[in-house]
Amino acid sequence: MNVDELVRDTLREQAAELTVPGPGFADRVLAVRRRRRTRRLASAVAAATAVVALAAAVPLLDAGKEDVRSAAVLDGSGVLAHPDQSPPRDLIAAGRSVLAAHYTAEPVERPDGRAVFTRTYWLLDPETGKYEKDDRWSFVAVAPGARTAAVLERELPARRIGLLDLATGRVDRWITVDHGVGGLAFSRDGRRLLATTYREHPDLMVRMKDESGGVAWVRQFGGTSSRSGFHVLDVEAGRGTWSPVAERRDVTGRQDFAFSRDGRLVYAQVVGERDGMQQFHDLAGTPVPAPAQERHLRSDVPARLSPDGRLAASGLTAEAEDTSWSAIRDPRTGEEVARVRGAHLLAWVDDRRLIAWERAPGPGEYRPRLVLVTIGSEKVLPLSGVREPDGSFGTVEWEPVFVERRP
Amino acid sequence: MDAEAQESFREFVANRSSALLKTAVLLSGGDRHAGEDLLQNALIKAAGRWHRIDEPEAYVRQVLYRQQIGRWRLKWRGRELSVAEPPDVGADEEASAAAELRLLMRGALARLTARQRTVLVLRYFEDLPEAEVARILGCSVGTVRSTAHRSLARLRTLAPELRALGPAGAERRPSRDYSPVEVRS
Repeated sequence: MNVDELVRDTLREQAAELTVPGPGFADRVLAVRRRRRTRRLASAVAAATAVVALAAAVPLLDAGKEDVRSAAVLDGSGVLAHPDQSPPRDLIAAGRSVLAAHYTAEPVERPDGRAVFTRTYWLLDPETGKYEKDDRWSFVAVAPGARTAAVLERELPARRIGLLDLATGRVDRWITVDHGVGGLAFSRDGRRLLATTYREHPDLMVRMKDESGGVAWVRQFGGTSSRSGFHVLDVEAGRGTWSPVAERRDVTGRQDFAFSRDGRLVYAQVVGERDGMQQFHDLAGTPVPAPAQERHLRSDVPARLSPDGRLAASGLTAEAEDTSWSAIRDPRTGEEVARVRGAHLLAWVDDRRLIAWERAPGPGEYRPRLVLVTIGSEKVLPLSGVREPDGSFGTVEWEPVFVERRP
Repeated sequence: MDAEAQESFREFVANRSSALLKTAVLLSGGDRHAGEDLLQNALIKAAGRWHRIDEPEAYVRQVLYRQQIGRWRLKWRGRELSVAEPPDVGADEEASAAAELRLLMRGALARLTARQRTVLVLRYFEDLPEAEVARILGCSVGTVRSTAHRSLARLRTLAPELRALGPAGAERRPSRDYSPVEVRS
C-alpha cells in the first residue's frame, strides 16, 4: 500500500463516520448571520468614534495643572467600573483610557421624506464624574484629557465648530470654516482638529422594505457619499487649510477621516472585500499607501496601536459559547501574535490591557458589555452593565467614546 | 434575503450540508465542532450573496478551502487532537493492522498545518486534479505539487510507522519536474 492510498482510505473512513448536521442547520446559519449583521452595523457607527480613541501622553489646550477640580476624577491609573450601569451614569475608566462620552442614535424623519440618523450624547462632567445628557450637538469629538470637546450643532454640514468646556457646558470659542463639516477628530496631541467636510448631511437614511415586508430606515450605501474633503485646523489659532478629496465609489454615507498615528496623514474606512479596509491620504488629500506601522490595522477596530506601538489590535477571530477572542497582531508583519478576550477591541489601557465589548453569558442574542481584558489571560473584568439589544437594526442603544486620560 | 431566497437556501443546506460537512470536518483535522464552525461561516458568506451565486456548492466549497487555509495560523498551531485507541485485535490480524494504520494516519493528519491538510483533502478525498486544486486555492500547480509532496513527507515524520509504506505518486516525481512557483501580487 502507498502512503497516498492510506491517506485516501483514512479520509474516506473518517468521512463515513460523520453524521449529518441536525435539522434546522440552515435556520441556525441564518440566525447567526442576522446577529452578525446587527453587530456590524453597530461597529460601523463605532468606527466613526474611533477617531477619538487614539492615545498618547501630550498636554492639551489650556487645562492647567492647577485645575484641581478635575484631578479627582480624571487622574490616576486605577480602574473605575460600574458593572450595574447600562448606559453608564458614573465615570468608567481604566489605565490611560477614560469613557469620555456615550451616545445613542436613531432615525428621525424629516419633512422631505428622508430621515437623519440622529445622535444624542451624554458627556462626562469632569467635576462630578457623571455623564450628563447634552442634546445640543449632532457630533462630538472629545479631546485627549476629556476636559474639552469639539462640537457640531444640529444642522449638518456645519459652518462652525464649537470648543466646549466639559466642566461648564459652555462653548468657549467658535471656529468658522469655509466648507461644511460633518465629522471631527483630534490629533493625538490634541493640538489639531481634523474636520471632514460633506456637501450634504452625512447621516441621511433612506426608506426601505425590510425582510418581513415592513418599512425600515437604512443608512445610505453604495457610492452615495457627499464627502468632499477635510480641514486640518490648529485648535489654538482657530485656523487651518482645506483639502479636497476625490469621490470614490467605495465610500458610503458618513466616512470621517482621522489622523494617522504621527498626524502626517489621514485615513478613512473604505468598503472592500474585507471588513475594516482603510485608505490613507496625505494632508493635501492625495491617496497614499498606509504607513508601515498602520498597514495591518482595521478601520473598524477603534483600539488600533498599543501605546508603545508594538502591538496592533485587530478583529474578532474566534467565538465559543459566551466567549469571544480578538486578534493581536505584529503591526509590521500583520502576523497574529496573540489572542485576547473580547469581541470588539475599543481602547488600550496600557501595553497589555484593553477595553473591549464582550458578550455577556446567556443564550441567544449578542448582549455586549464593556470589559477589561489582558493579553495572555482569560480573565475578563466587567466595566459596564450589559447593553440589551432592542431588537431593531435601526437604532444604536449606546456607543462609548474613549479618550486618553491625562496624568 | 427575501423569503424566496431563504427557501432556496434552506433547500440547498438540507440537500448538501451532509457532504459539505464531511469536507469541512476533514479540513479541520477531524474536529467536528471546528468543522461545523467552518461550514457555518462559509454558508453565512453564501447567504449574503445568494442572488449572485450561480453554483452555490462550488462557491461554498471554495470558501471552505480558502477560509481554512486563511485561519490555519490561528487555530492549529501547537494544537493536537487526541485520537481514539485502536480497537481490540480481532481474528483478522491483517485487517486490524490496517485499521491501526488508519488511526495513526488520522492522528498525523490532524497535526498537519491546515494548508497541508487542505491540499491532501482536495487531492485524495475530493479526487481533484492538481490544476483544479490550484485554481480553487488560487496558487500555482507547482505549489500544489510541492505542498502535497511536503505534506506526505511530514506525515511520515509524524508517524514513523508509515515509513514502511511505498512512496506516493506525488513523491516519485523528480524534483526538476516541479513547475516554478508563481508570485502572486
